[in-house]
Amino acid sequence: MKKYLYIIKTQIIKRLTYAFDVYGNILVQTIIMITSAFFWKALYKDGGTAGGVDVDSMLVYIIMSSVLSVLLITNVEKRIEQSVQKGTVATDMMKPVSLFGIYFAEDIGTIIALILQNILPILLIGSLLIKVPKMADLRDLPIFVLSVLLSFFINWFLAALFGMMAFSAVNIDALIQVKKHLIRLVSGSIIPLWFFPDPIANVLKFLPFPYIYQLPLSIYIGRGTRAEIFTGMEIQLAWAVVLFLVFLFAQKQITRKVMVQGG
Amino acid sequence: MIDVVNLCKDYTLKRKEPGLKGAFKGLVNPGIEKIHAVADLSFHIDAGEIVGFIGPNGAGKSTTIKMMSGILTPSSGSVLINGADITKHRKEVVRNIGVVFGQRTQLNWDLRLGESFELLKHIYQIDQKDYDRTIDELDSILGIKEIINQPVRQMSLGQRVKGDLVASMLHSPKVLFLDEPTIGLDVSSKYALRKFIKEINKLRQTTVILTTHDLGDIQELCERLIIINHGVMMEDGNLSEIVDRIAPYKTLVVEFYDEKAPEANFCEMIEHSGNIAKYKFMKKDTTAADIIADLSKRQTIKDVSIEEAGIDDIIKIAYGH
Amino acid sequence: MKKAFKELGHYLDVTIQVIKMAFLTIVEYPANIAGWMISNPIQFIVGFATIKFVVESFGEINGWNYGQLAFLYGLSVMSHALSMIFFVQGWFMGYFVLEGDFDRYLTRPMSVLYQFFFTNINIFGITDLIPGILVFVYGCIKCAVQVTPFFVLQVLVMLIGATLIRGGIYIFLGSTSFYTKSTTDFGMYTQEIMDKTTLYPISMYPESLQFILTYLIPIGWVSFYPVSSLLGIENSVLNGMVVPFVTLLVGLLVITLSGLFFKAGLKKYESAGN
Repeated sequence: MKKYLYIIKTQIIKRLTYAFDVYGNILVQTIIMITSAFFWKALYKDGGTAGGVDVDSMLVYIIMSSVLSVLLITNVEKRIEQSVQKGTVATDMMKPVSLFGIYFAEDIGTIIALILQNILPILLIGSLLIKVPKMADLRDLPIFVLSVLLSFFINWFLAALFGMMAFSAVNIDALIQVKKHLIRLVSGSIIPLWFFPDPIANVLKFLPFPYIYQLPLSIYIGRGTRAEIFTGMEIQLAWAVVLFLVFLFAQKQITRKVMVQGG
Repeated sequence: MIDVVNLCKDYTLKRKEPGLKGAFKGLVNPGIEKIHAVADLSFHIDAGEIVGFIGPNGAGKSTTIKMMSGILTPSSGSVLINGADITKHRKEVVRNIGVVFGQRTQLNWDLRLGESFELLKHIYQIDQKDYDRTIDELDSILGIKEIINQPVRQMSLGQRVKGDLVASMLHSPKVLFLDEPTIGLDVSSKYALRKFIKEINKLRQTTVILTTHDLGDIQELCERLIIINHGVMMEDGNLSEIVDRIAPYKTLVVEFYDEKAPEANFCEMIEHSGNIAKYKFMKKDTTAADIIADLSKRQTIKDVSIEEAGIDDIIKIAYGH
Repeated sequence: MKKAFKELGHYLDVTIQVIKMAFLTIVEYPANIAGWMISNPIQFIVGFATIKFVVESFGEINGWNYGQLAFLYGLSVMSHALSMIFFVQGWFMGYFVLEGDFDRYLTRPMSVLYQFFFTNINIFGITDLIPGILVFVYGCIKCAVQVTPFFVLQVLVMLIGATLIRGGIYIFLGSTSFYTKSTTDFGMYTQEIMDKTTLYPISMYPESLQFILTYLIPIGWVSFYPVSSLLGIENSVLNGMVVPFVTLLVGLLVITLSGLFFKAGLKKYESAGN
C-alpha cells in the first residue's frame, strides 16, 4: 500500500509542475461549460420544461458534468499502449508492484492534484458566470457521492480494458478516440439521454455508459423518483462489479500471455 | 569560408524546487536563471579544413555547431558562410551546408531509404544527372546502393548513419557539419564513416566541422582542433602544435637488468617497479638519446621505449582548467 | 515576379513528392487507416445525430432549423477535415520544439513552416472529409439549395478560407511552445473550442462573445457567417457582403499573422539536449 501511496504522491507533484496544462484544462472546461450554457439557454428560450427538466436544472447539470469530467480523467490506456510499444511490458510486469496498480495509483494522484487545480476553479467560474450549482436535495448527498464513486470505477475499468487491446493491436489511438467520443455522447455528459428517441434510450439504459455521467448528475439535479434512482444505482453497481470481474480476468490472461511470449 | 564573429548564446533556465511545496511554489513564481552557453567565440575556418570541436558535455560545442549551421539563433555575434550571414539569409546559405547530427535522423522512418533521398532531391532541386552521379560516387565510398531499398526502420544504426551521411551530401554542400557522428557505432561503421569523411574532404574539398568525444575520430581526421569549455575557447590550433604546447613532455620507459634504477639529468623518475622505470622529460630541456646516454653510464640498459603524450592527456589537461 | 513563380514551382514540386510519400506510408500501415476510417466518421455522424435529437425535442435553435444546422455542421466538418490534413501538426508543435525536430527543417533551403506541415502531411485526415460531405449533402437536400456554379465557387472559396483560419489558429497555439517550453498538446483544447463555435450558430451566444468570435478570434468566419450568407439567414454583420470571399481574406490575414508569430518564436528555438 505504501508503494502505491508513494506513486500517488509523485504523480501529484508531477501534475503540479505542469502549470500550463493546469490552466489549459480550466480554460477548456470553462469554455465547454459556458458554451453549453448558452446552447441550452437558446433551446429553452421559450421557458418551460423539456424531458421533465427546466433550464435552471439543465445549467446545474452541465456545470456538474464539467466537474465530473475532471474526476473521470484516465491515462491508463495511454500508459499501457506506451509500455507495449516500447516493449517494456514484460519487465514492467516483473516488478514487485502490480502494473495496473501503478496506473491506478497514478490516475488517483492526478485526480487529487486536479481537485485543487481544476475542480475548485471550475466550480467558482461556473457559479460566477452561469449559476451556483446547488444540489436539488442535500439529503441525497450520500447517494450522490456513492454514485460518483461507482461511476469512477466503471469508467476506469472500461479504460483499462480498452487499453489492454493494445496487446493485440499495437496502435489503439484511433480506438481511444472512438471510445472517448462514444462515451461522451452516450453517457449523457453533454446531452442527457432523455432527449434521445425512446428506442435508443431504452437500449442504452442497459449499457454501462449512462451510469458514468447521467445517473450521478440526475441525482444531483433531483430528476427522477426515488425508485428510478435506486433501480439506476442497482444497475450501476452491477456494471461496476461485472467490469471489475472482467478486468481481473483480462489482467490474468494478459499477464500469462506476456510472461509466455515475453511481450 | 566560415567566419565566426563574437558569437554568444544565452539561455534562461526555470529553476524548480523539489517536493510538494516546491511544486506549488513553481506554479506561482518560477525562478529564472540566465546561463551563458557560448561566450564571445571568434574564429575563421578555411575551405577544405577538417576541424574538430572538443570539450566536455555541456561545454557549448553543440550549441556552437548548431549556431554555425543555422539551427540556433545567436544571442549576439554572427556566423558567416562564404561571406553571408546564416541567420539573416538562412534559405540561401543552407544550400551550401550539409548536416548529420549523431543520434537523430532526417530520414523518413516508415519508408525505404530511397524515398528520403528522393524528397531531398526535390527540396534541393538537384537535377537527375547530378543526383545519379552523386549517388554513384557516394556508393563507391559507402556502398549505399545495397540498402537503398530497405525501410529505414529496419536498418541498424550503422546503416542508418550511412543513409544520413549520403542524405547530407546529396546536394554537394561545401561544408559538412557532424555532431557526434560516431556515437554508438560499431568499429567497422566508425571506420567507414572516417574513411567517408576523409574521401569527401579530399575529392570534393568539402570543409568538415565535427564535434566528438572519440579520440580515434580526432587522431584520424582532425588537422585542427578547437577546444571549448564553459562556452569559452580554450585552444585553437594545429593538432600537433596543441599537443606540443599543452603536453610538452615525453615519457621514457627503461628496462634495466636489475631492480636498481638511477636518476638522470633534466628528467624526473615518475614510476619505478621491478626492473622498469619511467622518466618524464620536457622536450625543450633534453632528448631521449641524452637521457639514455646518461643512464647507461650508471646502469646497464636492457630495453627502452618512448611514450608520447596522447590526445587523451590533452583533453584531460584542457578540461582540468 | 519570375523568381516568385520559380519558387512557387519549387514548393509545388516538393508538395507532390510529399503527398506521394504520404500515400506510400498509408500502404505501409493499412491497419491504421482502417482504424481512422471507422473512428472519424462515427464521431461526427453520432455527433450530428445527437444534435438532431435535441433540435427535434425543441423545434429549432435560435431560428435555425434542422436542415440549416446540417448544412452548417457539414461545411464545418469539411473545413475541419482539410485543416486536419494540412495543419494538424500545429497541435503537436510542442513535441517537435522540445525534441529538436526543427533542426532538420532549419538546415534545408525552404520555409520552416512549410516543411513542418507538409513533410508531415496527414493524409488520414481524408477520413474526416467523408462524414462532412455526407452531412453537408443531406443539409443541401433538406434546405432545397439551388446548386449553381456561383454557389459551388462560394463553397470552395469558403472552404479554403475556413481551412486557413483554422490552420492559422493551430500555428498560433503551437508557436506558444517556443516560449513556454511545454509539450502541451493543443488538440483537445482547439477541437473543443472549434466544435462549439463552428458546428452551431454563434448567434446563440451573447453579443460580447459574438464580437470576440467575429473580430478578435475570427472563428465566426469559419462557418457561421458564410453559411448564414449562403442560406440567406439574416445577420447584421453581413450587410450584403459576399461572405465566402471575406472568409478567404480573413483566412489569409490570420495565417499571415500567425506565421509572423511563429517566425518570432523560432528565434527562441533551442534544439534538444541543452
